[in-house]
Amino acid sequence: MDAAFLLLAGVFLPLFPLSMLFNALLRRAHRPWLRALLLLTWPQPGLALVAAAQPPLPDWLMAWALLSSALYAFRALSLRELGLWTGFLACSLWALLWLVLARPGEVPPGLHALGLSAPLVLLTLLGTGLERRFGAAYAGLYGGLAQQLPRLAGVLVVVVLAGIAMPLFPPFFTLLSLTLATASAAPAAALALAGIWLLWSWAGARLLQGLVVGPGDSGGGPADLSPAATWAYAAALAALAGGGLYLLGGLA
Amino acid sequence: MERLIVLVAALPLCSALLIQLLFHRPGWRAAQVSVTFTTLSFLAAAAVLGLALAGQGPMAITLPAAPWGSLLFDPLSALMMLVIAGISLIVHVYSVRYMAEEPGYARFFLLLDLMTAALLVMVAAGDLITLLIAWHLVGVLLYFLLGHDSRSPSAWRYSFWTLLTYRIGDLPLVLAAGLLHHAYGTWSLPELFTRISADPGTHQIAGFELLDLVGALIALAAFARSAQFLLHTWLPYTMDGPTPVSALMHAGIVNAGGFLINRFAPVFIHTGGVLHWIFLVGLVTAVIGSVLMLTQNDIKKSLGYSTMGQMGFMIMECGVGAFSLAIYHLIAHGLFKGTLFLGAGGVIHAARRDDGVPKDELYTFVVERRPARQRKPWLLMAAITLAVPVSILVAAHLLVAQDYFQKQGAIVLLFFGWVTGAQLIFATYRMRSQNLWRLVGLSVFSFAVVVLGYSLISHAFDLFLYPDPAFRQQLYAAADIDLLRFDILVAFVTAVIVLGWLLTYYAERNGSRRHRRTGRAWLVFYVLVSREFYLTDLYAALTRGLLHTATRLNVWLRWA
Repeated sequence: MDAAFLLLAGVFLPLFPLSMLFNALLRRAHRPWLRALLLLTWPQPGLALVAAAQPPLPDWLMAWALLSSALYAFRALSLRELGLWTGFLACSLWALLWLVLARPGEVPPGLHALGLSAPLVLLTLLGTGLERRFGAAYAGLYGGLAQQLPRLAGVLVVVVLAGIAMPLFPPFFTLLSLTLATASAAPAAALALAGIWLLWSWAGARLLQGLVVGPGDSGGGPADLSPAATWAYAAALAALAGGGLYLLGGLA
Repeated sequence: MERLIVLVAALPLCSALLIQLLFHRPGWRAAQVSVTFTTLSFLAAAAVLGLALAGQGPMAITLPAAPWGSLLFDPLSALMMLVIAGISLIVHVYSVRYMAEEPGYARFFLLLDLMTAALLVMVAAGDLITLLIAWHLVGVLLYFLLGHDSRSPSAWRYSFWTLLTYRIGDLPLVLAAGLLHHAYGTWSLPELFTRISADPGTHQIAGFELLDLVGALIALAAFARSAQFLLHTWLPYTMDGPTPVSALMHAGIVNAGGFLINRFAPVFIHTGGVLHWIFLVGLVTAVIGSVLMLTQNDIKKSLGYSTMGQMGFMIMECGVGAFSLAIYHLIAHGLFKGTLFLGAGGVIHAARRDDGVPKDELYTFVVERRPARQRKPWLLMAAITLAVPVSILVAAHLLVAQDYFQKQGAIVLLFFGWVTGAQLIFATYRMRSQNLWRLVGLSVFSFAVVVLGYSLISHAFDLFLYPDPAFRQQLYAAADIDLLRFDILVAFVTAVIVLGWLLTYYAERNGSRRHRRTGRAWLVFYVLVSREFYLTDLYAALTRGLLHTATRLNVWLRWA
């Protein structure tokens, strides 16, 4: 019974190959609101299942979660399509929620999940904006966003940084608390977490370089993000940073 | 007092916020605001250092009911805050006109202000979490500063190398923080150091002594930040970034490794062989950095490798227990390298009209490589070469501390001083000169001035940064090795160096007739060095291999 619960939870807190279901669904979801909803809510049923059944979480499950996370982080290195990249990053981030469940702290796992998902929602909205403007959100296809659409590029950069667990955003503090907690109890897991974190940075920087860098189109291209939308994104990011600082309180 | 310290770090942050909120178009106003706030920050930092010099004791400023966000006032943070604020102010003032015609003028100052704030928080961090956040942010901000010109793929490519190397250095620090917190139950740095000194050696992790492991992780973080060998390839290639950023990076950011080791000095005094490894890595970096610097035909890469060599020397100083000397070194190097970068453009411009190099004896010797034909008696010159630097070094160091020669680390540094002095005199008497004795006398005099200045200043740094004599003694003791082994090592290295000089002397005396095999060996060595030991090629191949594997995996798993 426990194993069945864990397997079912493994679909929502994606363990490879169960995670393939989420990526297939995300690829078929074309409406932005549906993609955003999927990204925001997908891990919550998994957390609810584990909370309801409270099965023991064996060590092999932790290893499976870490391997799944590492696999998606590694595979994200070569991705150029923003939608796919977001899905892979989501799988890599959410798989680590198993480690959060195994070491419960002051902050509820649901909040950790929300903190990990929120930057991905912003990212998928930005990806939709890029698709509307250029027909595809694909790194290396057009590039030069910083020259052509500076506001959109600026927001995109900060959102990708938030997603790959850079400081002051919730994923950073989730990763930080996990690494700090495992450093002495399970040094191998801490090393794996450090490696996964490094892979995210690499993948994120590659994606950004393909989208943001380059001479850009000097002619009249698509319109930039409106000031109102920019402020809305800035407010969302500020709220995320606030959430990150709240998570930081859980480190005490 | 508390307000002053908070002000130093908060002012650049306020400036960045103002620029973001008020200045959307390029203009002088953003630069004016930025320079004004940085000036105020510098003045506040000067006041903080003044208080530290006046004898104000260490203190921590903490947020109520939060384990993070605390700032530490102690001699190290006060000194480093002034250095960072000072270098940042110079870079700000220089950038006002230098960056005027670049796109993203206001953004540049915003990033510069954020970087200044992150650096100031990093050096004043009073707890592990604040230190980690600032340490991470410095790497991220440097990535965007180096890639400021978003039209240049090469600038971004190399700033990406920097980001990745810095991330490699960030993660060991996170692990070290986790281990320390788990073992000692506090995030606060002063509290942590107190607990470590009370209970240094009872913790073990995976069969290792905890503090050895923590020391090694902190050293690894410092190596990545300070471009030590194998983690250095980003440094010489990041010259596509704006010149002010290069100046800030080479004068301030890259020195963070030396600061970090100093910050964790109370950990290192309880480690076993970690300082020896630090010494070895520093030594290898110093030698390889200097060799690579000498063989570059691109002046900017040459400057990059010069920084690498200097960073190696700084890390090596930590490895022999001369922690405060490393801080003095990083400040001196920062000022000198910052000046070089900021002055390079003007010098190149002026050199197009007139190179300004006098065609004198030095030019004949260094550039045209024409040594003197008539030599003085070699025995006399050899005696001067070997004995004079030793006498000067011993006299200068006895002046500052009687027990100086009880410390192995001090002897290692004296040894380097002796090699440098002897090399100077060795080179001098081969120069064409009308009055050789005058030249030798002047060389010896300038060497004496440098050694005396260096000894006095470094001693003053020692007293200021580590006022407790017992702690200073512990730092040197932690770097000690078995005395017999130490003596044998010093004798061996001395013999090798003297033999090298003798070989050079006889090779020049008998002309440069070289055997064919030796010539080929030199050629192979030159190829190796000119290709920078194939390390960049190796890393590039590794990267390509990993990306190819990731692509194959994605195809195989149908992108799901």
